[in-house]
Amino acid sequence: MISIPKKFPLNRKQWALMKVIISVVFIVIILLSGLFLDEGRIVTNLTDRNSPPSVDHLFGTDWLGRDMFTRTVMGLALSIGVGLIGAIGSASIALFLGMMAATMGKRADRLISWLIDLFLSVPHLVTLILIAFMLGGGFKGIVVGLTLTHWPSLARVIRAEVMQIRSAEFVQVSRRMGKSGWWIAVHHIVPHIIPQFLIGFMLLFPHVILHEAAVTFIGLGLSPHEPAIGIILSESMKYLSAGMWWLAFFPGLCLLFIVRMFDQIGENLRWLTDSNRNRD
Amino acid sequence: MVALVAFISIFTLAGCNSSRPDSADVGRSVASEVKKDELVLAFGSEPETGFDPTTGWGRYGSPLFQSTLLKRDDKLNIRNDLATNYEVSPDGNVWTVKVRDDVKFSDGQPLTAADVVFTFETAAGNGSVVDLNRVRKVEALDDYTVRFTLQEPQSTFVNTLIGTGIIPKHAYGKDYAEHPIGSGPYQLVQWDKGQQLIVQANPQYYDRQPYFKKITFLFLSEDASFAAAQAGIVDLAYIPAAFSHQKVTGMRIESLKTVDNRGIVFPYVKSGGVTKDGLPIGNDVTADPAIRHAINIAVDRHALVDGVLEGHGTPAYTSVDGLPWWNPETVIEDGNLEGAKRLLDEAGWIDTDGDGVREKGALKAEFTLYYLASDSIRQSLAISVADMMKPLGLNVKLAGGSWDIISKSMYSNPVIMGWGSHDPHEMYNLYSSETAGIDYYNTGYYSNKTVDGYLEQALHAKTEEEAIEFWKKAQWDETTGLSVKGDAAWAWLVNINHLYLVKDGLDIGDQRIHVHGHGWPATDNIVDWKWTK
Repeated sequence: MISIPKKFPLNRKQWALMKVIISVVFIVIILLSGLFLDEGRIVTNLTDRNSPPSVDHLFGTDWLGRDMFTRTVMGLALSIGVGLIGAIGSASIALFLGMMAATMGKRADRLISWLIDLFLSVPHLVTLILIAFMLGGGFKGIVVGLTLTHWPSLARVIRAEVMQIRSAEFVQVSRRMGKSGWWIAVHHIVPHIIPQFLIGFMLLFPHVILHEAAVTFIGLGLSPHEPAIGIILSESMKYLSAGMWWLAFFPGLCLLFIVRMFDQIGENLRWLTDSNRNRD
Repeated sequence: MVALVAFISIFTLAGCNSSRPDSADVGRSVASEVKKDELVLAFGSEPETGFDPTTGWGRYGSPLFQSTLLKRDDKLNIRNDLATNYEVSPDGNVWTVKVRDDVKFSDGQPLTAADVVFTFETAAGNGSVVDLNRVRKVEALDDYTVRFTLQEPQSTFVNTLIGTGIIPKHAYGKDYAEHPIGSGPYQLVQWDKGQQLIVQANPQYYDRQPYFKKITFLFLSEDASFAAAQAGIVDLAYIPAAFSHQKVTGMRIESLKTVDNRGIVFPYVKSGGVTKDGLPIGNDVTADPAIRHAINIAVDRHALVDGVLEGHGTPAYTSVDGLPWWNPETVIEDGNLEGAKRLLDEAGWIDTDGDGVREKGALKAEFTLYYLASDSIRQSLAISVADMMKPLGLNVKLAGGSWDIISKSMYSNPVIMGWGSHDPHEMYNLYSSETAGIDYYNTGYYSNKTVDGYLEQALHAKTEEEAIEFWKKAQWDETTGLSVKGDAAWAWLVNINHLYLVKDGLDIGDQRIHVHGHGWPATDNIVDWKWTK
């Protein structure tokens, strides 16, 4: 990990926790401002078009005079929302299949492993585009697509973890003592995989957001008047040759920033919960 | 790392989006050998189905390779081209056209009446956009006389003669669309699909030889087209309005007037019905004339022209603004919010629950406006209009989609559409109750007996001059009509000027009012183009 100067008052663990808290606060602020920002600011204003960043319009305005800062924040909030649904859906599928593979015998395991390999053999983005296209695009298409494409790697991690726990001594003892499979799953296995699950979920998140932006960018996602970050970016491409750099620069930077935030949360949580490193 | 990779992938995708990245290089190699009598033009749209007039080629702009019986001059008057004269029988049913006897196809064979008959029979057999429904038979009376017998008089039949290039009977086959032979001013040299089209002057051409002996059409995306112009490798490039503020040295911007219009078509009837295919018809909100009039009055068309089109356009009041059959009385004063509010108040649309949206009984003054998601101008118009309607207490929700999606909803929801043609038949198609629900024509199921009467009279007039009076009356006859002053079946918004970057010194003649489509309409008078220095 990053080496921190000795005089810094926090130790590594506290520092990691700080980073998580800062990132969470930041994301919550974005989400809330996305919900509560005045819709009036993205109303078209045909007299104040194409203006570069200023105090009034932090990120400038677009070709219809809409405030880019408001659009960007709303877009990020929408993207986070879509990402949340997609990531929860994917993580649930991963949890379910991972548990099934590890507990329901050889045949189920082979089938599910095959399924995981199948999905991993094609880049997600391709599958995602196919599914979104099949469902006719739009909000539904993109959410279903994201949910159905992002589970395999997490499912594989969970499967391995569950298998390891199943062969642990305390589980064997528990079984000899006549506890049911369900009791063991709930009391022994689930508590042990919760950290992996949560971290997996957090790390899925940035992935899902970026893929949402990518699919929307190529026009298969949300309707183009909605303030989604992918739409903002793809629209801005048309105006780049007209010299309106601020349309792409700030929203792009913000997307990168948000995705880094989620990445940070995930990485640091992993570091905090990892029993092997958790000793200093 | 994950973030970085995915972020890069977004930009890679952006690269795939502009589908013709290589064409600029092709252009450069062509341009390096440009001589004075050669031209390189950058156009966006390629006629993907090829150059067969019987399936629609040449209806917009010059057919290049073929020539037509009649043509319009730059003032839109009808002139002879292949024909030496034409006569319409007193009952309007029989058109007799005399054809020049000195015309040869580019392969040296003479053009005769048999070729004309063959052209129209093939077109009728193809069942394409060439509308020959009302033609009973086409026959050659002698080598140079053709007789068209119609089922009933049709004043717009003349546009079929203007729009259909004559194909050679002896050289027409399956691959004609890719290897056209005709009697037009140019002949095909090479067509690289998706990249370029090269043509050269046809030495057999019977009329004045064109100034430019060789023309290369490059099919470029908007960005690439602009870049090509900046690099100086094209003599003319089509550009979108967003680029109009930038100067390109050695080129000027030509902003050409058009009837390439955009407007909102409203469902005219109340909801409840379904089409043959089970799609819903009608919309209770837009069926109320007060709503349609209020939108027409409240919308600020000049603001749309300045804001969305960067000033390169004109306000639209009908589908035929500026054409000979346009009734100028249809122009109204718009941007009038107070007048629109009064209209809605009087019609009983009042905001009783204070949520900013008016109601009438249980009905809320809201509807969904559909637009073509891939077209940024339609999107901008939709967003702007929706925002203009907010202070009025009308809640316009938006839905962007492909034509597949729109065509399922277009009979029951307002849609942003675009039309514009030199053929007045289009007005008939858009407003006649005969064409209600046929494809994209009259999707609102508009019908008004008086207007229908005028439209039929116009259609059945013997000549275009006679018809013009009825076309005008259909729009507004002092008491009723299809335009804003009457039933306001549409809210026409703007006519989009076509912008071209043109090299200094290149004279592209008097461009007539352009029709729907950016690119080919400019070639209408390509024979007259020349260098002035």
